Amino acid sequence: MINDVWILATASLVAISCALVGVFLILRRQALMGDAISHSVLLGIVLAFLISESRSLPVMLAGAVIIGLITAWLSDTLHKVGKLQSDASIGIVFTLFFAIGVILISLYAGQVDLDQECVLYGEIAFVPFDTIIWGSSEQGLDIGPRAFWMISVVFVIVLASILVAFNRLQTVAFHPSLALSLGINVVFWHYFLMTLVSLTTVASFDAVGAILVVALLVIPASSAYLLASTLKNMLWLAVIYAQSAVLIGYALAYALDSAISASIAVTSGVLLGLTILGLQVHKIRLRRQGKATLLEKA
Amino acid sequence: MLKTTLNKQITLISLCLAMLFASINAQAKLNIVTTTGMIADLTQNIGGDEVEVTALMNTGVDPHLYKATQGDLRKLMKADIIFYNGLHLEGKMQDIFEKMARKKPVYAISEKLPKNRILHHGQYPDPHIWFDVLLWKQAGERVLELLNKHEPDKSVLFTANANLYFDKLEALNLWAAQQVASIPEAQRILITAHDAFGYFGQAYQIKVMGLQGISTASEFGLQDIKQLKEVIVANQVKAVFVESSVSPRFINSLVEGVEAEGHQLKIGGELFSDAMGLPDTEEGTYLGMVKHNVNTIVSALKGQSKPTP
Repeated sequence: MINDVWILATASLVAISCALVGVFLILRRQALMGDAISHSVLLGIVLAFLISESRSLPVMLAGAVIIGLITAWLSDTLHKVGKLQSDASIGIVFTLFFAIGVILISLYAGQVDLDQECVLYGEIAFVPFDTIIWGSSEQGLDIGPRAFWMISVVFVIVLASILVAFNRLQTVAFHPSLALSLGINVVFWHYFLMTLVSLTTVASFDAVGAILVVALLVIPASSAYLLASTLKNMLWLAVIYAQSAVLIGYALAYALDSAISASIAVTSGVLLGLTILGLQVHKIRLRRQGKATLLEKA
Repeated sequence: MLKTTLNKQITLISLCLAMLFASINAQAKLNIVTTTGMIADLTQNIGGDEVEVTALMNTGVDPHLYKATQGDLRKLMKADIIFYNGLHLEGKMQDIFEKMARKKPVYAISEKLPKNRILHHGQYPDPHIWFDVLLWKQAGERVLELLNKHEPDKSVLFTANANLYFDKLEALNLWAAQQVASIPEAQRILITAHDAFGYFGQAYQIKVMGLQGISTASEFGLQDIKQLKEVIVANQVKAVFVESSVSPRFINSLVEGVEAEGHQLKIGGELFSDAMGLPDTEEGTYLGMVKHNVNTIVSALKGQSKPTP
């Protein structure tokens, strides 16, 4: 029972953090940044391993965050300086990084089990077992899962950043030229956002695995985009969609005895589908009503 | 009226209590969860009817690609003992098991194996210990020791079961060695998709070459393929093998490449590497799996058309 609570708590924090960051990615047309980072972290892991000769988690995380940052920064730069579309520049950077990672593995680390699947990506079902024990391992105080605390820290950072810098982020997202004329450092806020993205994705990879993170970055924010009229609304809706996907998805995983992260990802997709369906039905009804009133007038 | 309902309630409650006690008695069986089917098979053979064994990784699942389900979580929670392979076979899950071991009896069955028997790739150990039957027997001795520790009053039974099974393993080991020795020495080369058969090669004197590195996720370079081709042509190797838990397309492309150079090369059959066959078939047990592998390898490398059953 307590394990279900830990899993749901961790999944919820991951979902909300990803949804919040995802809203800004969607608005900047960089929705697949999460997918890109999930591939390019391979290079970060390999480099971290080659430099440190260690496969310990902190080393792998550091390598992953740094390469995640470089992926985000570099694709932004390619977009701006190279005048390439933002989706193309993301595609160029992460495939390049992933390929370099593969080459480095076959050159230097071919005999070591070294891929993001096995050293970085976590499995949400096992979150409750990996607890932090304060003090001696025999009688120490068990303060709960490591992944939970790590994603909590990231969640607080993301939330605080958005609360504190909401106006700036809003102006930069919707009116970059206005932001420039207001003297807002647009470049700084771009990079700031990309830092949040890299931090959130890597911490979430470690907690729940890649597929769920990519899904949670894109899908709840997209569902929210369909309904929301303001940035604030969109953020709230994305959070609600993400949280619902976690709760319904976990129930689904329980009922079907399936993988938890996949069930949550599928649920968020289904919620998006229902939203689109609802909007279409609403549109058709409005049209009929419109026709009816026209006929009445005639 | 009131009395009868009260009576009914009392019967109902006592019935519930009886069922509760019955279920507690039924649970007296030691509930053991293992990662791979091989470990489950080993544990079941030693524990016999006194243990209930469940494997997390189903038939044909590559341990590198295993995904846990919600039910797996429940199985792990309910388990009295958890056995895993160790030596990094379970990847990141191994960290989880090491953490779990602080609160629950969780053991790597490979942990007490003699250090000099463990193969290494670079500085990392090769986890596929079950392909050396004698080494697997030593892992079984560790399982026996742990079962005895947890259920001391059943240790006579466990030990008897284990000795019976260990005899079978020793016979299997002898048989496998004889079979492999019957292949002409120059052609004793086992080529598979990934390096899972290192222990097999060491134990039974057969040279092992793999297309992929130790992790099934890593890719191979052009150099590797070229070298393999040269070895195959130079030694007149008759067959290469596909594995049950690795995609056969790499091996297929190797066969096509070699045939383009005018050398006849067959796919010798499917070997079980990281997982056993379907349950309730012969290959679904450890003994059957090893027999299948040895028969497949020997008949294909000798150039016989069909593996002897």
